[in-house]
Amino acid sequence: MRELGRIFSRRRLTLGLVLILMLNGFLFVREQRENDYGLDLELPSSGFIFVDGTFMTTQEPVDAWAAYRRYSEWLDRARKLPLADAVTMLTDEKAALSAKITGDTDTENDQLDYVAVNNLLAQTDYLTGYGGWLENIQKNKENLLTFSIFNDPDSFSGRNILKTADEFEKLQGVELTLGTDGAVDSFMSFRLTDYFLLLVLLLVALSFLEERKAGLWSVVHAAPNGRFKLAIRRTLILFGASVAGVLLLYGTDLALGFSLYGGFGDLDRAVQSVETLGRLPMLTTVGGFLVRFFLLRIAAAFLVSLLLWLMLTAINNVKYTIIVAAGALAVEYSLYTFLPVQSAFNILKYFNLFTYISLSDLYTNYLNIDIFSYPLGIRSISQLALIPLCLLLTAICVYVHCHKKPAAGRDLLGRVAYKLNSVTDKFLRRLHLMGMELHKTLWIQKGIVIVVLLIYVVFGLSYTVSIPVMSSAEQAARQYTTQFAGEITDGTFARMDAEQKLLDNDLAAYEDAKAAYDAGLFEYPELDKYAREAAAAQTKSEGLSKVRSRAEELRDKGAAEGFTPWLIDETPFESVYGSRAQSNQQQAALVAVLALTLLLAGSMVYERQSGMTYLLKSTARGRGALILRKLLLAAGMTTLVWTVVYGMEVYALLSSFDIPAWSASAKNLSMLTAFPLNCSITGALVLLYVFRWLMLFCGAVIVLLISSRMKRMEVAYIAASAVTLIPSVLYVYMGIGALRPLSLTLPVAAMPLILSAGGALTDAGLALAALLATAAVSTACVSVQARGKS
Amino acid sequence: MKLELINLTKQYGNFTALDHVNITFTEGIYGILGANGAGKSTMMNLLTDNIPRTEGQILFDGTDILKLGRDFRRVLGYMPQQQGYYEHMTAQTFLSYMADLKAIPKKQARAEIEKLLEITNLSDVRHKKLGGYSGGMKQRVLLAQALLGDPKVVILDEPTAGLDPKERIRIRNFIADLSRERIILLATHIVSDIESISDQILMMKKGRVVGMDRPDRLIENVAQEVRESVVPGHFSLEDVYLYYLGE
Repeated sequence: MRELGRIFSRRRLTLGLVLILMLNGFLFVREQRENDYGLDLELPSSGFIFVDGTFMTTQEPVDAWAAYRRYSEWLDRARKLPLADAVTMLTDEKAALSAKITGDTDTENDQLDYVAVNNLLAQTDYLTGYGGWLENIQKNKENLLTFSIFNDPDSFSGRNILKTADEFEKLQGVELTLGTDGAVDSFMSFRLTDYFLLLVLLLVALSFLEERKAGLWSVVHAAPNGRFKLAIRRTLILFGASVAGVLLLYGTDLALGFSLYGGFGDLDRAVQSVETLGRLPMLTTVGGFLVRFFLLRIAAAFLVSLLLWLMLTAINNVKYTIIVAAGALAVEYSLYTFLPVQSAFNILKYFNLFTYISLSDLYTNYLNIDIFSYPLGIRSISQLALIPLCLLLTAICVYVHCHKKPAAGRDLLGRVAYKLNSVTDKFLRRLHLMGMELHKTLWIQKGIVIVVLLIYVVFGLSYTVSIPVMSSAEQAARQYTTQFAGEITDGTFARMDAEQKLLDNDLAAYEDAKAAYDAGLFEYPELDKYAREAAAAQTKSEGLSKVRSRAEELRDKGAAEGFTPWLIDETPFESVYGSRAQSNQQQAALVAVLALTLLLAGSMVYERQSGMTYLLKSTARGRGALILRKLLLAAGMTTLVWTVVYGMEVYALLSSFDIPAWSASAKNLSMLTAFPLNCSITGALVLLYVFRWLMLFCGAVIVLLISSRMKRMEVAYIAASAVTLIPSVLYVYMGIGALRPLSLTLPVAAMPLILSAGGALTDAGLALAALLATAAVSTACVSVQARGKS
Repeated sequence: MKLELINLTKQYGNFTALDHVNITFTEGIYGILGANGAGKSTMMNLLTDNIPRTEGQILFDGTDILKLGRDFRRVLGYMPQQQGYYEHMTAQTFLSYMADLKAIPKKQARAEIEKLLEITNLSDVRHKKLGGYSGGMKQRVLLAQALLGDPKVVILDEPTAGLDPKERIRIRNFIADLSRERIILLATHIVSDIESISDQILMMKKGRVVGMDRPDRLIENVAQEVRESVVPGHFSLEDVYLYYLGE
């Protein structure tokens, strides 16, 4: 119990575990939302139009959550019927809804119904086709065995065909029923939990190295209970951590899955009723499978934790053990991920540490591998090996713990590190204060890892959205906008008039053709050709009319407000900065704020945690000059994060679109109608990015203030994240409006504030004033604290 | 060169840590003796302007050190009682960084660091990270940083704590060899550390200076006062310490 108390009394570990648990739940829910709650949201009218080199969707987005609730209602209705009747009912409904939607007589309700029915039909297709799929396996066996290359009963192929058919034969007659699959599907497919569990186990295993770091290993090793008894206690702690980790992390996933999707009452269905588990040749219910999965998950977690412990304790030097453990994990992961299924060494791919980490693969895939010409199921091997491996590893871990001598072994890594340090010292001694501050932030506080992760995450961010083209007239308007793009002059209207005349000619030609057809001078196919041209001309005319109206509006506004009117294709700006791109904007801002917080939260508190405060203040440059460097560091880190996050945004804008209107007045853009400054689009964008930099810098200064008030690094990271991120996350992702004024990502993204005011800078100005004032006060506080007395 | 403490007082709420202290330090080594909580570290922190004073003045050559600010800190070398260091820095980098904070030119700093690493016997481990140092080694690094920049006022708070006897003698001799053209304040409760090297000894008790004189005079004075109870010739500074500071 004391060992357990020692480990979990460490606040850093406990906080880490709580954070992992919360992050896991948050990301689980987020993934469900991003995956549209497992629904296919496509409507029958949906398609893509190729406009200006870009595919544009013609479908307004369907509310995924509303669609899922509708799906649940239809599911309740369908499950009351026999499966065949349910299929008939759903097929009829789908046809009727499809007709409504393609005939443009649909309502939003019809769209939700269509999505629900369509997804339900896909589910019933699987259920009704499962029997046939099983029969096919048996038929395939008969067919394949007629070929000479497969019918050798002593070959792997022959045995594999027989084994597969044999295993699935026992499923013949299994009764599949319609039910809610979402919770089990999401539970099986959410892979991040596997890695969160690995992290939890790693943290617990690392806590066993504490005594080495504290120089107490010899003392512990010399104590009467410091060997065998301690090893057994640690084994039990690892087992307990495995049980708790699995129950908490996977239990959270399952509980959240059931609360989101429902279906807790569907646990008595045959496990194959859930399509994800259709290839599992096992007669059990969904509930039975879940219990079995949890037990195996616990055993697998225990095995992984023992392996981690062994890797970490087998070598005396702590750093060396971490490098070796990281290397071993990297090798295992590479084999698991990159080794081809057909490889002769595929045993290394499946009998792998990561098989036990990503356990769900064993149940969603059916695969036999060749072991001396005998087909062995990867699931069976992995399951059967679990208990013996756990016992064996326990014995090895206990043995190593008892017999490893604390003072044995040469510190080879220490010598290498010393040589390496002598090289870096030559470089570091040339650095001045600013350089050393950078060194502390990027190297000592591992900021470089944050920067690398930031770059990786930013490459995965989406900066553009497709702007739907809802009608042919709208598409025509967009094409005319491109055609007449440029400064609006009398010539522009003359060209529009000329174009309108051509369209009128087409319409008149159709009228003439109709008269000729009535007079019997034309055949119907010829009239049809004119009719189609006239219809196209009508559509284009509508588009042209819209463009003309916009041009006239801009001309009048330009004359009134004193700017040169330009007709601009606004798609690029809408796509990157418009209201449809708000989610992208918020996400980019959140990433930027998170990265900046993690980079700077340790900056001030590091001095205090190192006990350097008094010493620094006794030096000539340890007060004002040092604080100035810290502020410069904040500015530098802000610039770095800003460049990475928003550099990618600018790159996305420039690489996706050809924009000739950079010099046009920003007021020509619909989204900036109320923009108060008479500057070009380039100027407005420069202002936008400068504004974002300022907001980020203000955030950085607030982080510095929080850091300066804390005593420990981990507390500083948590407190800074709580201030800069939690209100933003709760406001943006949970919709808690009361937190809007505290949300830092809102002013950093900036465009939501500008768009909500129709391009006016009122809200943005208020945010700027508030944050600048906060940053100024923060700077003053930090400065006073540093200059004054502790 | 003169460092004057005039009516210097420090209170923490109702507790008086330093009570109207008046001392004038000139060039020389001053050993400050006192039990834990006597006010030694408070006095050191006031001298380095790390805590605000409640009352009084600290004048360096006639000007308050608060007014001098950075100019006073330029001539100050300080080694705090609490070991503060960056565990991920090597001794070499740490000293370079401290030299930069003390505004010492790079070239001069390089030469001084070489010399101080030699004196503190850390040359062979200069590229080892401070986190891997023993307590005594850390103490020596902190002493080395205090002496960077040839400071005119050196404040050493328990400089030999955690050192083995050999190292203590080595450091003690080094302090003794330092140029006498500076003020060295050496706070400790290990009497033997200062007995042989101090020009003056300050006895502190409950925030007050209860005695200040040359070591031989202190011994003599106390010996006269308690002549009947001690054997002449066997009287030491430790007896003086017990006389002034014992219960």
